Amino acid sequence: MNDSQTIAVEVVGIEQVTPQIKHFKLAPVAGGTLPVFSGGSHIVVVMQGAGRVHRNPYSLLSTPQQLDTYEIGVRRMEESRGGSHFMHDAVEVGSRLEIAHPINLFGLDKIARKHLLIAGGIGITPFLAQLEDLHGGDVPYELHYSVRSHEHAAFLERLRRREGARLHMYYDSEGQTIAFESLLATQPLGTHVYVCGPAGMIKHVIATAQLCGWPDSHIHWEQFSAPPVGDAFEVFLSRSKKNVHVPPDQSLLESIEAAGVEVPYLCRGGVCGFCHTRILELDGELIHNDHYLSDADKAKGKSIMPCVSRARCKTLVLDL
Amino acid sequence: MLVTGIKSKPVYAPLQADTRGRYHLMLGMGVGAAPLLRVIAQMHTTAAAALKHTRVLYIPEAAPAIEQFRASVGDVQSFADAAALLDRFRVILGQSLMGTRLYVAGPESFIGLAMKIALEFNLNKDEIRAEECGSLARRVYCIHCRATTENVRTNIVRCIACERWLLVRDHYSRRVAAYMGVMVDAEVPGELPPVKEMFL
Repeated sequence: MNDSQTIAVEVVGIEQVTPQIKHFKLAPVAGGTLPVFSGGSHIVVVMQGAGRVHRNPYSLLSTPQQLDTYEIGVRRMEESRGGSHFMHDAVEVGSRLEIAHPINLFGLDKIARKHLLIAGGIGITPFLAQLEDLHGGDVPYELHYSVRSHEHAAFLERLRRREGARLHMYYDSEGQTIAFESLLATQPLGTHVYVCGPAGMIKHVIATAQLCGWPDSHIHWEQFSAPPVGDAFEVFLSRSKKNVHVPPDQSLLESIEAAGVEVPYLCRGGVCGFCHTRILELDGELIHNDHYLSDADKAKGKSIMPCVSRARCKTLVLDL
Repeated sequence: MLVTGIKSKPVYAPLQADTRGRYHLMLGMGVGAAPLLRVIAQMHTTAAAALKHTRVLYIPEAAPAIEQFRASVGDVQSFADAAALLDRFRVILGQSLMGTRLYVAGPESFIGLAMKIALEFNLNKDEIRAEECGSLARRVYCIHCRATTENVRTNIVRCIACERWLLVRDHYSRRVAAYMGVMVDAEVPGELPPVKEMFL
């Protein structure tokens, strides 16, 4: 994906659903319908901020059968690099944005015998679209949704109305926590677990499922890492013959794009592997922040995911 | 010829205990006892507690290993034939929990039928281990009339239902647990390549 393939959309609705989360409705500027997607898909929203472009991935939470608008939920991040603040503060009904085509890196297993969905906070968003696919089907499912407190329970009315007893709510403020071990130890054969939420929750679910004997092919998770800030560094793009400065609060990918070089991307969150870039020369160390490369590949230092990873180095030459 | 270099042909490996699993379900037929007993011996040394959650379903045939299984495993059931064992297997899968690992050892057609049922319960590759031992005789699915001919040992076989002469391919279907058979003399009826014993 690159920006020449984006779709122009207009914001046609904004609702503040919790103190931190806004719900946006986006309609195509050209009219008609938006591309078909399946539950679990995300789009990358391209925002023309003051002096810089933000490109953030957001899960689609609307009904996959209804394509006149897309809906996303955006949490205002405390330590924002600008994207979520832009969406919350600068975007109004009538604003125009560019979006990339939907990509699904968090799809439901089509032959699962049961789906166990576990959401923490804003991690509810991909499940909202998946539930539309599951609803009315023959495959049993449960949603376990954990939030800080009642006022932070985004989209709760919609979930209650549709899901009834399949929805299990947990409020931190009332000391309620998901009993992961007893939940994962008692699932029928052929169950798949899906988790989206804070990094700690995802790690805990993966570790607990493995402890209960779950094989990796039945464990699914999605976490878009925001590119972490770090020290500034310089990089040379060998094919484009360009020196690029990467400031502390900008990702390597963003800096390369700002220099006018396009890198193919899909998720911009260290998940999909699409921006995989070869390293030709390195004097220093890489700071890998992605979930894509294996530990062995990270140690080799022959490639990098520029969407979230950085370097602390004297020289870094990329095959771009 | 059409019989080699096809990716769907199942690949088997020597059975290993996978003690990351919490429950262990073992299916064996005849000489398939040996690999299963080897896994049980492995568990004895590395993770004896796993044997408390191990269950064996076995068809003794001419190789009576039931007492050897019973020496280590509490839940051992004996069956007269594959059909009876697989009926029980299906019931057990319906009651099983996530964390179960399946081990199958025996002739290829037995493994295939067990895998077909495992697939219905959405067991994936990382939950199943199979070691082929015993006969390589194939189940052959006639792509013309959809009948399955059992115990095929030759490269060319006559379909039990439509009586077409079928070439037995390496193309395997996990869903029907059989190799595909395609009419071999469609161009010139009656003109057959040499018939050879291949799957012994």
